Amino acid sequence: MEFGNHLYREFEEAWEANNGYRLAATINPDLSAAQLGKIHQSIDPDSGNWKASQEDNVKGSIKRGLQSTSIRTRGFDNDEIKGWTDVYFAYWTVTGTLARARAQGPSSQVSLQLLWTEVFEQWKKFVNALVQGYNNYGFEAWTIPCLYVAGKYLRLFAMQADDERSKNPSENDSANAFQDDFDPETDKHQKLEDCARVLNRVFSVCLNDRAPLEESRKWGIYFIINLLFKTYFKLNSPSLSKNVLRILTAGRGDMPDFYSFPRSQQVTFKYHEGVLNFLEENYAEAEKHLTEAWGLCHKDAIRNKELILTYLVPCRLITTHTLPTEKLLEPYPRLQRLFLPLCRCIKKGELHAFDLALQEGEDEFVKRRIYLTLERGRDIALRNLLRKVFIAGGFMPAAEGEKPVRRTRIPVAEFAAAISLGSQERLDNDEVECLLANMIYKGLMKGYISREQGKVVLSKSGAFPGTGV
Amino acid sequence: MMPTWPAAPPAPGVTPSNTYTTTYSAAPAFTPVPVRQSFAQPYGNPTSSRSPTTTNHSDQADDQSKKKIDWPESVRQYVQRSFLPANLEPTISRPEMEAKLKETITHATERGIMFALDWDTMPLPQELILEDRARMAAVSISLPSHGGSPNSASKKRKSGDLTDRAKLASPPPWRAGQGARLEDRVTYTNKDKRPTVDEPADNTSKLNKYEKRQKRFNGGYTSTYRSPSPPPCDGPVVGTCQDLEKRYLRLTAPPKASAVRPPSVLRQTLELLKKKWKKDQNYSYICDQFKSMRQDLTVQRVRDEFTVEVYEIHARIALEKGDLGEYNQCQTQLKALYKLGLKGKPNEFKAYRILYFIHTANRTELNNALADLTAAEKKDEAIKHALDVRSALALGNYHRFFQLYNETPNMGAYLMDMFVGRERLAALCNVCKAYKPDVPLRFVTEELYFETDIEAAQFIIDHNGQELLQEKEGTIMFLTGKAGQTFESAKKQAFSRVDIKGQI
Repeated sequence: MEFGNHLYREFEEAWEANNGYRLAATINPDLSAAQLGKIHQSIDPDSGNWKASQEDNVKGSIKRGLQSTSIRTRGFDNDEIKGWTDVYFAYWTVTGTLARARAQGPSSQVSLQLLWTEVFEQWKKFVNALVQGYNNYGFEAWTIPCLYVAGKYLRLFAMQADDERSKNPSENDSANAFQDDFDPETDKHQKLEDCARVLNRVFSVCLNDRAPLEESRKWGIYFIINLLFKTYFKLNSPSLSKNVLRILTAGRGDMPDFYSFPRSQQVTFKYHEGVLNFLEENYAEAEKHLTEAWGLCHKDAIRNKELILTYLVPCRLITTHTLPTEKLLEPYPRLQRLFLPLCRCIKKGELHAFDLALQEGEDEFVKRRIYLTLERGRDIALRNLLRKVFIAGGFMPAAEGEKPVRRTRIPVAEFAAAISLGSQERLDNDEVECLLANMIYKGLMKGYISREQGKVVLSKSGAFPGTGV
Repeated sequence: MMPTWPAAPPAPGVTPSNTYTTTYSAAPAFTPVPVRQSFAQPYGNPTSSRSPTTTNHSDQADDQSKKKIDWPESVRQYVQRSFLPANLEPTISRPEMEAKLKETITHATERGIMFALDWDTMPLPQELILEDRARMAAVSISLPSHGGSPNSASKKRKSGDLTDRAKLASPPPWRAGQGARLEDRVTYTNKDKRPTVDEPADNTSKLNKYEKRQKRFNGGYTSTYRSPSPPPCDGPVVGTCQDLEKRYLRLTAPPKASAVRPPSVLRQTLELLKKKWKKDQNYSYICDQFKSMRQDLTVQRVRDEFTVEVYEIHARIALEKGDLGEYNQCQTQLKALYKLGLKGKPNEFKAYRILYFIHTANRTELNNALADLTAAEKKDEAIKHALDVRSALALGNYHRFFQLYNETPNMGAYLMDMFVGRERLAALCNVCKAYKPDVPLRFVTEELYFETDIEAAQFIIDHNGQELLQEKEGTIMFLTGKAGQTFESAKKQAFSRVDIKGQI
């Protein structure tokens, strides 16, 4: 929105309605180059006092604009006006650079790199101006949607800046001059790391508000936390999210009820909490959070549901040994490609095919960080294979009037034959025993190995728990 | 040859009380490395920059503000903060402070940027003064020292470490006699340091603290806040030092050319160290020397095949000596160096990397290591071995794991030695749960890859399993059926924590 009566009217009305989202719309950077250019040109920094600096002229113009509204009569004090003047000034500054960055074609790489870096730096100033506003100029809590916009684009601009820079690797690593070894990671995500720091400050702004809950900035906390999670994941250090969770748990009593926050924020938060637990192999905990995210997720949010399932499916494979039905995966072709081949092999107990399917999808699995979990599906495939051997063994001759009992003493050699056949490699009996021992140890198979007799003695009641035999 | 330690000339007034001796302690010189868990870096807050964005002076515009000076609250707080006892600088007199304050504020008023400036992050006058001094010193670093009694300095520095640091940092002359900053080192439980009630507990106090901390570490030598454009970068140092050996010291200030060895010298150093390592096997000496070599390479931004060689050799030596912290630092560097396309032994070290993350049970990094491998690399002997080890463990296939242990290429066995114990415990738990009523001890020996039955028996006894060994018809049997939970707690403990200094 160009600076002018229209904007100031909007500001005023948003203010009267205490409508934070409407206010946030006035500082939206997600506009075309032309629109941004117009906004930037709507204030002429050289008009006004010719001796004053451009900055002062622009600020003066904004300040007059804000003062022209009726909000002044509603207890809007000088401090607050100053705060918002700073915010809008910072916004005005960005629009100029952003317009140039968006107008540039991909041909002029070097200047694009500089432009996006500049956009990020200027947007950071904008975020800081907002933070200042909350800390020092008494910005009210209903305006926090402005922080959402600020945080959201801070992250996007940081990634864009890092991206552009990575296209032009330079030797600009003066920051490393003091180190014993150079740090290869800092350069790659320089701006995003910076972004994480700033977001952390925004997080504190929300967290440390002591106002009563109805008018507390704490209502902004989950939005910011979700941004932090995304940033940490992108930085390849998801574990940093733990710190945030820890702070949150410590202050839970003072926090509004989680389920009073917008549903979308709940979903994103639960998803990340689930994935974090997943990565730490707390599968039960992960399942809980992911299931909750799944339940809260909007039915049409296909992409989000796909993301949740990406982790929930491997999770359930570990916790309950269950596989997804084809119907569940029907709307998600990507997940079908990802999981169905593996699932088929697990179900049929085909070890070799499982290995191949795992290899086939390895790159994608590793990228999604589910490889190490899916790999353990081999246990289930093996269990299913062994179960086949058990069933093929048939029944013992039953005594009169009693139900026939399956043969429970099975030579190791029979299992060995099945495993060698299934995995298409020759395994000696000791290795087969080792695999059997594992099954028993993990509770997938009940019984024991008698080394002396070369036999496995399976339990008469439920040799393969949970599978009906 | 008596090694000479050329470092920077000691600062005037600092008596080099702790001259370096060639006797290294026998204890390994493991260097704990700070774990990088946060992105704590200076908040480069450009808004706090003192270089105003305005260039046009406007007296007229300022007339208003001059007449009716309505000091913003932030400015008042700024002034207050400047005189907080915790912030006071012993080397700066009150008149100096006042003059600087006046200068800063007048400057802001004149330019009409009083309201634009971010006073909360504005450097305090004492910091500005220190910065000015530093700048002056940078211009004429050889200014003769003035004032200060040398004694007070040496009296206050307690540990040799601090003396060393001070020496290296070569504090500018005005600091020489003051022995200042010790005050800063003392942790105040002073109430003044806490933010006041009406001053929200936001970043400001943290910033100040941060700046102070940084100042403490670089001896007030460099400016602690940045102007929007980074300080003029004069490129990497080009070393002139000709000594082959140099003691490692952590850098706290930009290094001096005279204390840095150029690559040509470092090459000779490497040859010398290789010989020394073969002859003396003195790890603390070698580690120290390699660290200083790495430092010299880094500050000169030498990243070539020689760099790779230095890191590779250091990594191997560290491995051999079980210094995983140091090894891990080298490994991290090597990963980046290989990525630059430099030649070396990437496959050997990528394999170590996998084994290392198996040892530290770091799933995230293990996943990253997998992601880094190309199809061709996965077929390399050493890497394939490491991958097989990983998958054998993932599937609990101890049988295969111990076979692989037996055929580890290169120096991977040093790494596998680190976790073979806990895997034995895990396998033992497995065997105890699965086999009934017993197995021959020989079976344990073979499956868990012990050298002898005696070793296997000892392992069982060491974990309170002596009751489970029994002789039956001339064979020693291991009574797995009676083991119950015997080895479970030991296993749990063995897997619970892998604590390595400098681990990422």
